[in-house]
Amino acid sequence: MGEQMTRQNLQISSLLLVGIITFGLPLVLRSPTYLHILILLYLYAYLTSSWNLVGGFAGVLPLGHAAFVGIGAYSSTILYLQYGISPWLGMIVGGILAAIVGIIIGLPTFKMRGAYFALATIAFGEGIRVMVENIDYLGPFNLNGPRGLQIPPRNVGLTNLMFTTKEPYYYIILIMLVAVLALTYFISRSKLGYYLNAGGEEPEAAMSLGVNVARCKLIAMAMSSFLTALAGTFYAQFTLFIHPKSIISLDLSFEIAFIALIGGRGSIAGPVLGALLLRPVSDFSRIYFGATLPGLHLIIFGTVLVLVMIYQPRGLQEPLTRVYHKLLYRLIPEPAGTE
Amino acid sequence: MNYIIEGLINGILMGSIYGLTALGLTIIFGVLKVINFAHGSLLMVGMYVAYWAVSLSGLHPYLTLVVVVPVMYLFGYYLQDIVIKPIFKAEREVREPITVIIVTTGVWYILDNLTLLVFGPQYRSIQDNPLRGKMLEFGEMLISVPKLWGFFAAIITAGSVYWFLQKTRTGRAIRATSLDRDAASLMGIKQYRVYNIAFGIGTATAGIAGVTLVPFYNVFPTVGVLFDIKGFIIVVLGGLGSIGGAILGGIIIGLIESVGPQFMAATWTEAIVYGLFLLVLFVKPSGLFGVRYDW
Repeated sequence: MGEQMTRQNLQISSLLLVGIITFGLPLVLRSPTYLHILILLYLYAYLTSSWNLVGGFAGVLPLGHAAFVGIGAYSSTILYLQYGISPWLGMIVGGILAAIVGIIIGLPTFKMRGAYFALATIAFGEGIRVMVENIDYLGPFNLNGPRGLQIPPRNVGLTNLMFTTKEPYYYIILIMLVAVLALTYFISRSKLGYYLNAGGEEPEAAMSLGVNVARCKLIAMAMSSFLTALAGTFYAQFTLFIHPKSIISLDLSFEIAFIALIGGRGSIAGPVLGALLLRPVSDFSRIYFGATLPGLHLIIFGTVLVLVMIYQPRGLQEPLTRVYHKLLYRLIPEPAGTE
Repeated sequence: MNYIIEGLINGILMGSIYGLTALGLTIIFGVLKVINFAHGSLLMVGMYVAYWAVSLSGLHPYLTLVVVVPVMYLFGYYLQDIVIKPIFKAEREVREPITVIIVTTGVWYILDNLTLLVFGPQYRSIQDNPLRGKMLEFGEMLISVPKLWGFFAAIITAGSVYWFLQKTRTGRAIRATSLDRDAASLMGIKQYRVYNIAFGIGTATAGIAGVTLVPFYNVFPTVGVLFDIKGFIIVVLGGLGSIGGAILGGIIIGLIESVGPQFMAATWTEAIVYGLFLLVLFVKPSGLFGVRYDW
């Protein structure tokens, strides 16, 4: 019992240490370039964790999440540009809008088998992109078609979610990431989490036990699309420019899924681990080899993805968790005679 | 009026070529029950093989079929054997392993970017092309000769694959595996060899599509993506696993693309295609000729 306590203490203190390091990092690391890379890393970890709610726990393969990023980015940006509404409010509006769209898309698609679901979400994401690219005015709202929208950097400050330095963005996305991880933790230990898991693994068995699999998946989808849209607003405010081809792109949808799959879908640490491993690869290969070896990071992504799927289909978090537990038991060994 | 007829004819010709590009997708799905996300990249590889065969040997573009088809067959055969088979073995219980989709997506990214790395991003088209801009004139209507040949290639390829599956011994083994892989294995059919062959045939048809495209289409590393998404739409429209359905689905998409712009902005036709695709998925996921239990 005592050993159990110390082991738990160790886990909590190591978590605290990670917390202190991540929150204190901007005090030490002053380079805007590195902060930029870290912000994008957290953003991807956040996006992937949101994706994981439906792609990991519900056991389907959604490949159109960029559409929700786009809905979030466009909602808050249009509300801010045309009506002067704070992006924080716009963020919530975008989230709700994305959740509604997510449910509308989920209703017919969750009945489909794996491959059809993946194809339907691709078509949905691409369809949204084509529409945004073709529409200049949606009713009173100015989407500005293929040219995208630019946010003039005026009235900088917290109320307008606009800053001249990188640090505030760093803390905002870090807090968002921690929040989504906490949410994932509670869901995975809730009834909903168990239902989702059961429905993802063995839908027929779960249904025969009275689990409303379709309803659980819809709830997961609504949460996932809501959270993804929030990141869309953050991204729009971070770059102050949204462009349909880059924000609602198939590449973004695929990258989110790749990071989750390599890190380990359906686990809490998987998406963070995936982002931690893959984002630096893509950033640094673009910085150092972008001109001489174009596409190198995507070759690495593809190769890692294929190898992980063949040798560690549950993602890289599984062997690492095993090592972590082994280390934990090595540090605080089981006293003889307790088991 | 002539415009509309010309549009219709061009739509059917281009559409049948779309069908040909998607043929391999439907063959592979029919047997392996997985959607090969790398299919567009295989088409791209086929186009590059054809391009280099023409450029280096100076052969007539269509004669490169002699090189392209066997090369692509072997490429597909060993791609399945080395990269995809381990997943099937690991997930024997699952009827439609989702992991395979992911692996083929990885293959897509590797192939596209490796091509970018080796050959660069530039658009290539064959020099001294005997078919460039060749047109048949019917009164005021113009019909592109390479597209007409593409139409015939699509019909002949689809017909021969169909004949092969129906009449030959290997074809029967492939069909048996497609219907019930366990029962087929019990009858002494080597399941994974059948998978390799089916993947090889699917890749070879992508090679044929590549040869018919090269005379009038530019070759570049991401050319496959254009046909990839279109291919998914075509095969679902026609019914996954159906060979005739792929050609017909292709023709439907071709007609929308060629006739649509006469009534609206050309970019909107793309939105219509996606809308139609989602509609088919929601209303009749088995498509025009698909089998109900496959979705």
